[in-house]
Amino acid sequence: MEILVCVKQVPDDYVEVHLDPASGTPGVSAIEQVNNAFDAYALELAVRFCEANGGSVTVASIGPESSQSSLKNLLAVGASQAFLVSDAALSGADEGATTSYLSQLVEKCQAEHGSPFDLVLCGKESTDEISSQVGAMLAENMGVPFVSSVVEVSPCEGGLMAKQETEAGYSNYQVTTPAVFTIAKPNYDPRYPTIKNKMAARKAKIPTFSAAEAGISTQTNRVTCLGYTEPPKRQAGVRIQEKEAAEAVNKALAMLADAKVL
Amino acid sequence: MNTIVYLETKEGKPLGGSLELLTPAAALGTVTAVVAGVSPEVAQEAAGYGAPVLLLEGELGCDDALVAALEQVIREKHPDLVLFAATQTGKDLAPRLAQRFGSGCVTDATAVEGDETHKVVFTRPAYGGTILEKLALTGEGPMFANVRTGSYSRPQTGAAAPVETMAAAVAEDAVRAKLVETVTEITELVNLEGADVIVAGGRGMVDAEGFKLVEELAQVLGGVVGASRPAIEAGWVSRAHQIGQSGKIVAPTLYIACGISGAMQHISGALGSKYIVAINKDEDASIFDVADVGIVGDVKEILPLMIQEIRKKNG
Amino acid sequence: MAYIISDDARELLKDVKEFAEKEIKEQVKAYDISGEWPKEIYDKAIEMQLHMMDVPEEYGGLGLDHIDQAAILEQIAWADAGVAVTLNGNGLALKPVLIAGNEEQKQKCCDIIVNGGWGVFALTEPDAGCDAGNGKTTAVRSGDEYILNGRKCFITNAQVGDFYVVTAMTDKSKGTRGMSAFLIYKDTPGLSVGNHENKMGIRTSVTSDLVLDDVRVPVENRLGEEGTGFITAMKTLDLARTWCAVIGVGLAQRCIDEAVNYAKQRIQFGKPISSHQAIEFKIADMEIRTEASRQLVAHAIRLSDLGMSFGRESAAAKCFAGDSVVQTALDAVQILGGYGYSREYPVEKLLRDAKIFQIFEGTNEIQRMVVGRSVISSH
Repeated sequence: MEILVCVKQVPDDYVEVHLDPASGTPGVSAIEQVNNAFDAYALELAVRFCEANGGSVTVASIGPESSQSSLKNLLAVGASQAFLVSDAALSGADEGATTSYLSQLVEKCQAEHGSPFDLVLCGKESTDEISSQVGAMLAENMGVPFVSSVVEVSPCEGGLMAKQETEAGYSNYQVTTPAVFTIAKPNYDPRYPTIKNKMAARKAKIPTFSAAEAGISTQTNRVTCLGYTEPPKRQAGVRIQEKEAAEAVNKALAMLADAKVL
Repeated sequence: MNTIVYLETKEGKPLGGSLELLTPAAALGTVTAVVAGVSPEVAQEAAGYGAPVLLLEGELGCDDALVAALEQVIREKHPDLVLFAATQTGKDLAPRLAQRFGSGCVTDATAVEGDETHKVVFTRPAYGGTILEKLALTGEGPMFANVRTGSYSRPQTGAAAPVETMAAAVAEDAVRAKLVETVTEITELVNLEGADVIVAGGRGMVDAEGFKLVEELAQVLGGVVGASRPAIEAGWVSRAHQIGQSGKIVAPTLYIACGISGAMQHISGALGSKYIVAINKDEDASIFDVADVGIVGDVKEILPLMIQEIRKKNG
Repeated sequence: MAYIISDDARELLKDVKEFAEKEIKEQVKAYDISGEWPKEIYDKAIEMQLHMMDVPEEYGGLGLDHIDQAAILEQIAWADAGVAVTLNGNGLALKPVLIAGNEEQKQKCCDIIVNGGWGVFALTEPDAGCDAGNGKTTAVRSGDEYILNGRKCFITNAQVGDFYVVTAMTDKSKGTRGMSAFLIYKDTPGLSVGNHENKMGIRTSVTSDLVLDDVRVPVENRLGEEGTGFITAMKTLDLARTWCAVIGVGLAQRCIDEAVNYAKQRIQFGKPISSHQAIEFKIADMEIRTEASRQLVAHAIRLSDLGMSFGRESAAAKCFAGDSVVQTALDAVQILGGYGYSREYPVEKLLRDAKIFQIFEGTNEIQRMVVGRSVISSH
């Protein structure tokens, strides 16, 4: 099975993002860019699938040239090749435009890879914008089967079985390939790289294309951001710090009674 | 403005979160509520919220069929705006349809407001909820959005609007992902969105045994158990209890956060609470920045005493 | 500050940091109490190849720069010094093989480690600690074999070893020149392990006696010529001291981090104690000592990499880092006050872990002797 995993670089989501007072836009410039967590889960799932059933995993991304570093890190944990499209003309794309670029990039990667992909994976959402749209749109654009929030993929007669995590349990879907899945958090974590793989991956060259080289034509955004605000802050209230737990509890319960919330 | 509201159903009933959408839709103009896979009686009941209901009939048991059927409805009705609840289904359907119509799509909107210049302005949280975006949509087709449950209250019921029935013609090749089985693992009813009191536990509860204290406190307060992601991932409680970015957005009168440090991804789901109590032994925990009452102490010491005191009060 | 390493190594270090934080730092708390050897942690570390950083590239190793390796070992020690000592045990055992072994021996020992095994260096004896030349373990030639008898003590990884480098006297009359080194493999008859020491600190590292009772070792398992064992052991220690210092620096850095985090959030007299000068100065001294230790390490590594003599600098690094980490851990306990003395808080363990750095791989008294003699004799 030949699998392509689409990867986005996002500001490290351990860091809280606030508006930059000067520009009024999200202040992310000082935050380290990392691979989106759900994309890393997608890669791990893909690599495990190929380890069990054969095949290889390719990763592809659209982003600044600095994304090469994050892509190299993915080569250290099971991806066999990586492609990057880096072009200022493609920055600031909305979900629809991103989808269009990605589907053209899939074509380009297939040409570079030398064979078509049976499966394209995306994280179920990115931790920055959290819009959870691109995977679904990509499947529509490619006209192929789509399953969201997948946590397990296994081969079955005529194609693939995908286990989708749902609010109340799970659903199993059977699809023919090629297909697009978005990946939720499986019940395992991405592996750590071995030192040897890491150092070899760091020396790799990531083929990087301009939009023209990748055959990507630009598309107008359909989503316009009119502005950003921060939600109103809650005021911190009273802090209770007592030596005796019983005293703290009594104080707190008295306050709850006063506020009539009990 | 013409709006289609898709009423998502669960066990044959419209979800509260999708009925709420009738409120902003009505404020924008005329509304059609579309519902699929329910009995005519249920459709009739839904029409009691004031919007005419279009009942889709046919084999619509999976997303692929629903997308095809809704595509057909939209092509016929030419709405300006199509709204979904921001559930797993809503988040799948909206972008797929938007792509089919060359439209823009908004995920997790918390406000949908009319605007002279942009027709509609959407508000949505990004970056784990620390930032709100105001978005406008352009494009060839209608605007699509899914809206967070709890953003609006559902309209009053009154005189019933008409119900129209439409047979959805879903082409055979429209179903590409074949639903083989659906398994319900979580049978408990967890009504976090409607809860008046929520007691939530996090990593600080240490283990499954510790988490039981959260459940006990919720029980004596007549509240619902919530949890942050670490507690879910540790398997102490099912993900139906998750509050925050990847779980439920809640707005109870009283929210008690036990052993929860207050990562934005979690707390953004509880900021609508009227009164927040936090118990954490780390006096630096960011949960204290949003708590009305913060108790610095060990949850394993505090909770048993609190449970005991409340039991006493309850008699 | 930290070691100046390449961008690529910095990326690797991020993974190691994540590993240290997620898989070591919290898990070791329970092992510190129980004294059990945390096999689950080591299995994961082996998977990541953290146990084989000393295997040369030509024998299947990683080809890391030594300074990159130092940064990685420091990061592991930051999470737990005992884990770093265990992992570094492989490096300690490989050094004499690489110094004195033949190609076959080198490849065999490297293969054992690459495949997830453990090496053990056994020099110290009950009556021969600092005075290593006074060993009582004997190796008597008998045909194509040596028969070894004796007892080694305080041997890191003895219980889990796959190969052992053991020193023994082949000719007592020649003193240190009568000592030879041997490779003994696991499961060799007569080789057994005593009880593991119930130690004050670095409790995630297993330390025990190694007993040799008529252990027959083929002649081809001798490392180098007869009589070169002491020289091999001393060269090994010259190299090893630097790495011991690396671990001490990691532990000291942890002390700084814990103390600073606490001092910034602990409010007394209406402000964080970090803004009280008494604490600020203490933190400054902790940092100065730790960074000075780190740079002594970096200098010793550089000299060694350049093929220059580094024995004095390596001993200086170990001695200074060892004394420094004990003082820095004491300072961390002092900054945390009552909490520093409580087992509920992390720094109490750090102090227990720190003390060994003045003792093992040659006490600091021995290090001073090495440095002193080197200075005096070169004048």
